[in-house]
Amino acid sequence: MLELRSVSKCFSSITAVDNVSFSARAGEVTGYLGPNGSGKSTTMKMITGLIEMTSGEILFDGKRIQHDLIAYKQRMGYVPEEPHLYAHLSGLEYLVMVGQLRGLDERRTRECIDGLLRLFTLYGDRHAPISAYSKGMRQKVLLSAALLHNPDLLLLDEPFSGLDVGSALVLRSLIQELAARGKVVLFSSHELETVERVCSRVVILHRGKIVADDSIASLRTLMELPTLESIFSQLAVEQDTAAISKEIADLIRA
Amino acid sequence: MTKLQFRVLYRQFLFRMVDLELISAQGDISKLLGQFAGLLMFFSFALTFGALVFDRGRLKPAQLQSALWGMEHFLISTTMLVVGLFAVLSWDSTFPDRRDVLVLAPLPIRARTLFLAKVSAAAAALGLTVVALHCLAGLGWPFHFVPKGGNGLRSLAAYWITMISAGAFNFCCVLGVQGLGAQFLPRRYFLRLSAFLQMAAFCWFMCSYFVEPSLVTPAAFTAPQNQWALWLPSYWFLGFFHQLNGSMHPVFQQLARRAWIGLAVSVGGMAVAYALSYFRTLKKIVEEPDIVPGSGGVHWLPPFGNSLETAVVQFSIRTLARSRQHRMMLAFFLGIGFALLVFVIKNPGPKNAALKSDIPLLFTTVAMMCITVVGTRVVFSMPISLRANWIFRVTQVSRAWEYMAAIRRPLFALGVAPVWILSAGLLFSIWPWQLAADHLVVLGLLGSTVAYVCLASFRKIPFTCSYLPGKSYLHMAFLTAMGLMLFIIRGVVFESEALRNGTSYTIMVVVLAVAMLAARWWAVSRANEEDAVVQFEELPTPALQLLGLNRDGVVTTEAPS
Repeated sequence: MLELRSVSKCFSSITAVDNVSFSARAGEVTGYLGPNGSGKSTTMKMITGLIEMTSGEILFDGKRIQHDLIAYKQRMGYVPEEPHLYAHLSGLEYLVMVGQLRGLDERRTRECIDGLLRLFTLYGDRHAPISAYSKGMRQKVLLSAALLHNPDLLLLDEPFSGLDVGSALVLRSLIQELAARGKVVLFSSHELETVERVCSRVVILHRGKIVADDSIASLRTLMELPTLESIFSQLAVEQDTAAISKEIADLIRA
Repeated sequence: MTKLQFRVLYRQFLFRMVDLELISAQGDISKLLGQFAGLLMFFSFALTFGALVFDRGRLKPAQLQSALWGMEHFLISTTMLVVGLFAVLSWDSTFPDRRDVLVLAPLPIRARTLFLAKVSAAAAALGLTVVALHCLAGLGWPFHFVPKGGNGLRSLAAYWITMISAGAFNFCCVLGVQGLGAQFLPRRYFLRLSAFLQMAAFCWFMCSYFVEPSLVTPAAFTAPQNQWALWLPSYWFLGFFHQLNGSMHPVFQQLARRAWIGLAVSVGGMAVAYALSYFRTLKKIVEEPDIVPGSGGVHWLPPFGNSLETAVVQFSIRTLARSRQHRMMLAFFLGIGFALLVFVIKNPGPKNAALKSDIPLLFTTVAMMCITVVGTRVVFSMPISLRANWIFRVTQVSRAWEYMAAIRRPLFALGVAPVWILSAGLLFSIWPWQLAADHLVVLGLLGSTVAYVCLASFRKIPFTCSYLPGKSYLHMAFLTAMGLMLFIIRGVVFESEALRNGTSYTIMVVVLAVAMLAARWWAVSRANEEDAVVQFEELPTPALQLLGLNRDGVVTTEAPS
């Protein structure tokens, strides 16, 4: 289980994440939602150890991740929000490098890479430089890199970004399959429909603070709203969307 | 509107001569540019010192003429070299890149404005380079070049016009060649060829500067064996200068004519080829991908130790092999090595014939080893795709000391080993095997020592840490390198003698081995320090965050009480 206890992150005088506490259990997919700038990606980066938290603690299987960050990273897979990759390497070279950095068995890794490349339909382009890859192909490389070592904790930040319909459907099933096999999956996305289908629980963040943490079914019942979108709109969208769109249209006409 | 667009674009392009994405978050590009300008001005100051101590009265007329011709040619060819290197290093910034086009094309900006802003930015950078190089020398030397009955102001004007013209000639040639390539080739092939052209231009500038003979007498100019040298543009501009200066000697007439023709052809050719290709390229950049996807070729690389070491070394090799920017930087260092080699061959030093024959080769191998190791280490500090380095952080599943051990490997694999292997091939083919083996032992020990010293405070995976401009003192590095070169020259003379004396050789090897072990112990113990962590940001996050309120106009002038 992944557990965040009173985690905060301040950049100068700005508090990006404010006293956030929630847990993501093995065997279920936890959705992590919030509007732009609400602190989702900052939380993800703190969970991966990419940035340090200002206060609080993060535990995985009851142990503070900072206690043994190396052991923790061996069990974690991460798909970042933006597909920053070494574009001068080929997809195959990149994945082999990730396997080597993780210290995985060479033969087993190579088999796994070949399999992932075939399943993600990248095998034919495995020797092409990543600079020639489309956004969706890059996303597939990121997914492969995150899955290569069979992680116990999977952190997915906008994993559907750029994927075609077929690949998105595969990924959706894959996330559920991995959770069913006992992995902890924390999934951040703006695609509420997908979140509703994939996640059993959601945590909604607004201005760095948690405004909801429950199963989608409970939230629906509690708030007497039919969809996750309407729940999200009520909790995290302050603006009158219709009025704003009208105002924008008026503004550009002027 | 167009003027405003021009000003905005001009400023953007001027500061984009250096890739801003490489710079550390807290880095300041103006510091880096200031350092380059400082280095050129430092060089200018050194030249001016020569002008101050130059005493015309002590020389006979023939000696004076030789000295002045030599100095004039040196100043012209140095200007051409500096401008040429500037043009080569800013090769990619002369055309807009894909991002420029994708950002600017949807905006209502005329291609003409974009073109003018780009050319103006390049011309301004070129002008600043020439001015920085001659800001002091250009006020001292022209007055030594005044001919009998001549006018100081005319010499001053002739000097500056010549230097600017010589620089413009080289710059225009580079742009013209690029323009022709872009005009006649599909963009993807042009980009491929462009990498080779850039390297060829770099080699040409270095070779023509260091290999060209020094012609300082009328007889040398008319000698049949030197006629090829008169096709070198630096001599054309020597004639050009004398024509403007009013000190024309008959041997310069032909050269001055060539300079005028060359200048007209290069400027005119560049203007036409560059302008045509520019407008055509703008469209092609959007239409065609930048790189042809590679499908075949060799993708295998051997292992270099454990999996972490292999990953780091293979990543370093692939980056150096595929990144034009990093290759050019390394080529710059190798060019310096090449220049020193030419210098030593031209000035062998000791009069002993037996030693004299060894020294150029000994010096070449030793200097190339030192320069390659130092150059590779410098190149490792320049990142590639900085924002992609997260993968190294997320996959940090080994202890810090294991990373430090892995970081040492690439310098040996890419710096020490290639020079040692090439030297071994060369030496075994032309020297008796024992002599070659003896020198290779020395070379290996020396290369390892330099590598360990270079790595003592280096805690970065090559090409993954941000770059902080202004951190290193370029002029001090330049002076230190010069001092080290003198030390190497003395050391090589000593080695040449020691190779023929068993006792001296043994002492030398023991001293070098001890030095290497000491350097290794130093590097390893620093890497194993408790606080040793792999660095991805040149500047650590400050414990105290500065608010930078002075940027809003509130400047603190007193220390807080």
